[in-house]
Amino acid sequence: MNMHYHSKYRINPEMKMIHLLEENHLLLLMLQHFEIDFRVGDSTIAQLCKEYDISENLFIRIANLYSGVRVANNTSFSKKDVLRVINFLKNSHTYYRSDKYPQIRNFIFQLKQNHPDKELKLLEQFFDEYFAEVLEHLNYEDTIAFPYFIALLENKENTAASTNYSSDEYSEHHTDIELKLKDLKSLLLKHLKINDDWMLRRQLLFALYELEYDLYIHSLIEETILIPAGIGIENE
Amino acid sequence: MNKTLQRTQQHIVILEASKIISEGLYDILYRSEINCKIDHCDTLDELFELLETKTPHILITNSMQFLNREKEIKKTRKTHPNIHIVGMDCMHMPKMNSLFDASFSLYDSEEQIIQTISKLFEKLSFAHQTKTDDDSLSDREIEVLTGIVNGHSNKEIAESLNISVHTVVTHRKNIAAKTGIRSQSGLTIYAISKEIISIDDFS
Repeated sequence: MNMHYHSKYRINPEMKMIHLLEENHLLLLMLQHFEIDFRVGDSTIAQLCKEYDISENLFIRIANLYSGVRVANNTSFSKKDVLRVINFLKNSHTYYRSDKYPQIRNFIFQLKQNHPDKELKLLEQFFDEYFAEVLEHLNYEDTIAFPYFIALLENKENTAASTNYSSDEYSEHHTDIELKLKDLKSLLLKHLKINDDWMLRRQLLFALYELEYDLYIHSLIEETILIPAGIGIENE
Repeated sequence: MNKTLQRTQQHIVILEASKIISEGLYDILYRSEINCKIDHCDTLDELFELLETKTPHILITNSMQFLNREKEIKKTRKTHPNIHIVGMDCMHMPKMNSLFDASFSLYDSEEQIIQTISKLFEKLSFAHQTKTDDDSLSDREIEVLTGIVNGHSNKEIAESLNISVHTVVTHRKNIAAKTGIRSQSGLTIYAISKEIISIDDFS
């Protein structure tokens, strides 16, 4: 799938979720991060939003990101929306931390067991170091960045003035964890010679692509929704 | 047709609000021998957004799209000097030749349209003739890579190879582009798998 594919249509609230899933099954990740049950039945987006108390504006913006549409950044979000976004981002952290990275780790481990080459041992080492960096970054966001934004949104007096922290600093700290993921893909697709083991290698690559896709959307949400909202409140 | 046109994929963006025209153009391009990937934008603003992340080889646009926005186009030309722009003339439009590298009319035949675009591609591939598809590293790049893998700084590598730090940085960029790997630890695995260094050198 082309991440930057220009969608043929704009998503509107009267569309049925199940049809959107037919077009792009990766929206399942979005549903999970929003804590919307996969059994969407015949619900339209408007109905789902009402049921789960999410603004249509926010839902559609994020759904568009997942479908590769970057709508011009002109709508602003309510404080409630931004709190929802933070919850969404936290849920995606859980997906990275306890689901996708461990799964990838497991595939690499199995691959190493099947192929006792030195390279795969190094690949596992590479991944473990990378995973540790990712965990550190996720913990930083969960314990410092997000609480700061939540305090800011809940209008705690002088949050911006009393802490040394700011949205600016957040966007600087916002490191590129997608980079080593690309390295991993390059090694598997261009360089490392591994014979056979089709199923395992394909599963690993699928998992890497899925993770890369979600990380990409994740950083778009942070850059186009969370950070602008934070800066907006700081300037009030 | 020039073989390079078929081998290297060209990225084309069509800027046209009319569905009939853009779909027709898609069809003509996909039917031709040009090996291309096509994106589509309805408006100039959508195009500007796309250019933030991508640099297409060719932009085919309805010349109407540029009306009264010449300044922005000229600016875009400066920031994206490698994009070639083909104008589509719909009717008796005032010609804005200075903005286009080539143009065709909506009433040109399929062959004429393909010829116009192919000519531009030939010019393009001529300009990039020095670039090859070969991803193997040069001897110098291998030396720089060995330095990186051994944990040497740019300055140390520059001194040991008797080249400038600036040159080392350029080599590093080329190594990253060729291998698709940016991190030092990733490059280490690359170097071992290509037997540039042996695992025993590296502990």
